[in-house]
Amino acid sequence: MDSSPAAHAPAAHDEGHASVQTYIRVAVVLAILTAIEIGALYVPGLPKHVLVTLILIFGTMKFALVVAFFMHLRYDNKVLTALFVGPLVIATLIILAIMALFSAFLLLARG
Amino acid sequence: MAAEHVAVFHNPNIGTTGLDHRKMGMWAFLGSECMFFGSLIGTYLAYKGKSINGPGPHEILNIPLTSVSAFVLLMSSLLMVLALAAVQRNDMKWGKIWLFLTAVFGAGFVGFQIFEFTHFVHLGLTLQTNLFGSTFFVLTGFHGAHVTGGVIWLLAMWWLAVRGRLGPQDSLKVEICGLYWHFVDIVWIVIFALIYLIP
Repeated sequence: MDSSPAAHAPAAHDEGHASVQTYIRVAVVLAILTAIEIGALYVPGLPKHVLVTLILIFGTMKFALVVAFFMHLRYDNKVLTALFVGPLVIATLIILAIMALFSAFLLLARG
Repeated sequence: MAAEHVAVFHNPNIGTTGLDHRKMGMWAFLGSECMFFGSLIGTYLAYKGKSINGPGPHEILNIPLTSVSAFVLLMSSLLMVLALAAVQRNDMKWGKIWLFLTAVFGAGFVGFQIFEFTHFVHLGLTLQTNLFGSTFFVLTGFHGAHVTGGVIWLLAMWWLAVRGRLGPQDSLKVEICGLYWHFVDIVWIVIFALIYLIP
């Protein structure tokens, strides 16, 4: 039985965080993605399905950057990733299921 | 046998997983919040375009104004990680400044939302007007309430720091507050894209 102090020492809750420089770089990327996302709305003649796809892709990238770097999931224990991503997947499926039940997919034309 | 009973350091907050209970608890809470906001977003999208009377989203949503407020909330996330980094390196002067500025940016976002809600009511959109009004106000209202809770939490952390009762040994408390704050930011990233930007 290993009862040495080291065995019972508190586990590091941070496996290491990003540097301040990384945080600033991520914030700049987030600002650029937001600008492109909003700018796409004002591009004349852009087909709706292209616009929707762009907004969804850029939104997903922003979401992933904040979770990975600002919330440190990239550096933290994988158990925490599972605790968050599991319900996130379920939530996404709930959204898709409700939309399917109500025939309300974004790309479908509505009156 | 006696050797096995030597005094050992055991942190009661660390469980068999080796992770801090408080941090795990916050992540589990955020997971449940994903499903909470997922159901509200799903309901909004399911009823989108099905109101039988106006005003509708394309007549009323102010994209430039909301873009500014979305940017303010996004940048508050940067301020939050800067606050955490400052507290971790025991730079409490900047820790206090970043914490306070994060709360100010959050309060600014809430201010934008109060202005937007008031403006919509003046234009004739209320919770009872139509399906758009009901789903929009419930979704964005719950998000605004979460941001307000976050601002109060941030101000409490800032006040502890001002009183000298927050130091690098408490960085996990700041990190957990930050997790909540970043979560309200990512929820707004989704709401902004799905409700405001997608035509």
